[in-house]
Amino acid sequence: MLETLKDRYSRTGEESTVRSLLDRESVRSAPFWGPPFLLVALFVYGAVVWNGVLSLTDFTGIGSPDYGTLDFENYVVAFTGGTPTWSDLTVDPIWNSAQNTVVLMIVFAAVCLALGLVLAILVDRGIRFENTFRTIYLLPMSLSFVVTAKFWLYMYNPQTGLINIGIQALGFGPVEFVQNPELKLGAVAFALIWQFSGYAMIVYLAALRGIPSSHFEAARVDGASTVRMYRRVIVPQLRTATVSALVVITVFALKAFDFLFSMYGGYQPGPSADILATRMVREAYANQNWAYGSTIAVVLFVMALFIIAPYIYSQYRRGEL
Amino acid sequence: MSGNHTTTRRKILKGAGAAGIAGLAGCSGGGGDSGSEPIELLHAWSSGDGNAAIGALIKGFQDAHPDVEFAEEPVNGAARGNLDQVVSNRLQANDPPSTFQSWPGKTLEKFGEAYADIEGDVWTDDLKSNYLPGPKRQAQLDGTYVTVPLNIHRINNLFYNVPVLEEAGVDPDSLSSPADVVDACEAVATNTDAVPFAQQTSGAWSTVQLWETVLLAEAGIGGYRSFIEGNGDTEQVRAALENVVALSDYYPGDASSISFTEANTMVMEGDAAFIHQGDWAAGAYSGADEFNYGDDWGQVTYPGTSGSYLLNMDSFPYFADNPSPEATKTFLSYCGSAEGQVLFNREKGSIPPRKDADVSSLNAFQQDQYDDFTSAENQPPSVQHGLAVSPGVSTNIASAFSSFLENYDAEETANELVDAFQ
Repeated sequence: MLETLKDRYSRTGEESTVRSLLDRESVRSAPFWGPPFLLVALFVYGAVVWNGVLSLTDFTGIGSPDYGTLDFENYVVAFTGGTPTWSDLTVDPIWNSAQNTVVLMIVFAAVCLALGLVLAILVDRGIRFENTFRTIYLLPMSLSFVVTAKFWLYMYNPQTGLINIGIQALGFGPVEFVQNPELKLGAVAFALIWQFSGYAMIVYLAALRGIPSSHFEAARVDGASTVRMYRRVIVPQLRTATVSALVVITVFALKAFDFLFSMYGGYQPGPSADILATRMVREAYANQNWAYGSTIAVVLFVMALFIIAPYIYSQYRRGEL
Repeated sequence: MSGNHTTTRRKILKGAGAAGIAGLAGCSGGGGDSGSEPIELLHAWSSGDGNAAIGALIKGFQDAHPDVEFAEEPVNGAARGNLDQVVSNRLQANDPPSTFQSWPGKTLEKFGEAYADIEGDVWTDDLKSNYLPGPKRQAQLDGTYVTVPLNIHRINNLFYNVPVLEEAGVDPDSLSSPADVVDACEAVATNTDAVPFAQQTSGAWSTVQLWETVLLAEAGIGGYRSFIEGNGDTEQVRAALENVVALSDYYPGDASSISFTEANTMVMEGDAAFIHQGDWAAGAYSGADEFNYGDDWGQVTYPGTSGSYLLNMDSFPYFADNPSPEATKTFLSYCGSAEGQVLFNREKGSIPPRKDADVSSLNAFQQDQYDDFTSAENQPPSVQHGLAVSPGVSTNIASAFSSFLENYDAEETANELVDAFQ
């Protein structure tokens, strides 16, 4: 008697659980979020996983990879060099291009953000022709890397380029930038900064506009100088803007491939400007070393994760994820 | 009102659906009523003389074989590397085209297993007896005929602007070694305002082909062959690099910012004396009205390389898993005929690989080059243009030169070049 009642109770309990599960909003909206979710899972995350598996194979040339024997040989080769089993030729380690990638990323991101912040503060001071200046600073971002690379090739021209005309006007000799091992990477970073500091400015400007004017007034009333006011009161409130601009900008640095490809007419920018992206395409498409190309892609992916992870974590801590 | 809106929307949807279905039907109907698939030819000649040349070849072929259907598909973006990626992706998907524009020689190793033997079907005794040994070797992958070379561009040229050299007091025919070229550049620098040696260094390719020409001149055909076989002599390689370093003093000041086209324009406008390039440089000259062969510009075999015709070729290989086997073979046979090659090369500015071609319809410069070619003792393959070395080695060589352009260190680069084969 007691048992049947219990059974019936639990059965209705199950039924009601099922019903409440079906009634849930997340389930009922599944037809809407489901297909895109599946597509992204398959084509983005599926491809990432597949690339990871591919990097453990010995896949070269045409045909299909052998997933039977997986090992970490490619990673050993990537970090120490040597002759891999799948090739007759020795392979250089990726340290040089990895180092260039990191340097480019840090210099480009740091200068871009600093410059963007300064521009945003200046534009925010209620200057005349504010919209015009804003457009001028942002415009380079709308150009493609191919256009800016060709454009900067002209700018750096030792005889007719604007940069060198400026340097010569100051009384110094013409400076070779494009093929100069000391200045090459800096020249690339400078061009990228020119292109993307406007973006950092817009992000900062939006954040500055979001700060209530009472904060400015309160600081003034307390007798803070302009510099002190920005340093102590305003800039600390730009943390979110900094993180989101940083993520976008560093991802652009990882993708500087297009820029180098156009500037140096191919994926051989020379050892001083070689980044992981150019090295990866060289291995995959010029040499058909698909597995090794995937290995470099995984390294690049891990680097991108290191940049994104703190952002996601801070979002999570603040309950926005 | 709102009812009206719904009807309109429905009508639009219906119309769109019908159009979609019609489109799908059109796609599937395009295929194979005729029984044989059309030839699908992928190439990167999407503009300029290359486009005119492939157009002339296809038109000639269709006039000769009106029954064979053609689905020509230029891969846009023009760069050959782009085309290779498209073909590579299609081979991975087991969907090869009928044929595509490829360098012959060692470049064929890239898609090695995908090609099939066409000896007998296309490479008949007629072809074998009319191609010189150099090009014939380049048509083979490990001794099997898999491709048909269509044209030859020469690499070991030295082009010059006649009035500039006259002003400088330099006689180009008297130059007999790469060192003489350096001396001539010095004379141009002292006696004229012109840049002695127009060269671009933003990309490595022009420097690679200059170095390989100098190596051929200094190390001779034997030394050159040893290098491309992987047994290069570091001393010879270094000596050739040092000659390039000496020449680099005479480059334009903005060599790193200009392209080949701009360098070549300097010669055309009398701002530069010499340029070392493949004979596509002459294509630009023949397009200019006021710049004539003999009077305004001239060409000599690069000093020290006489008797050699350093080859750069394009070819159409045959894929084993061919979508249109018979039609492709018919087309490749046409590409191997003197008639097809003359049609193509008249527009392209290069010369036919067959020694029995009637070149009277080609221009005077091409005819001179063709005479040089048919009387050349050696036809060595070019390193830069993919004939002489496998793709992996070629990447290593390009890397070595991209670093050479930064530091001009002959010693270091010589070691890298010899090690490129290991």
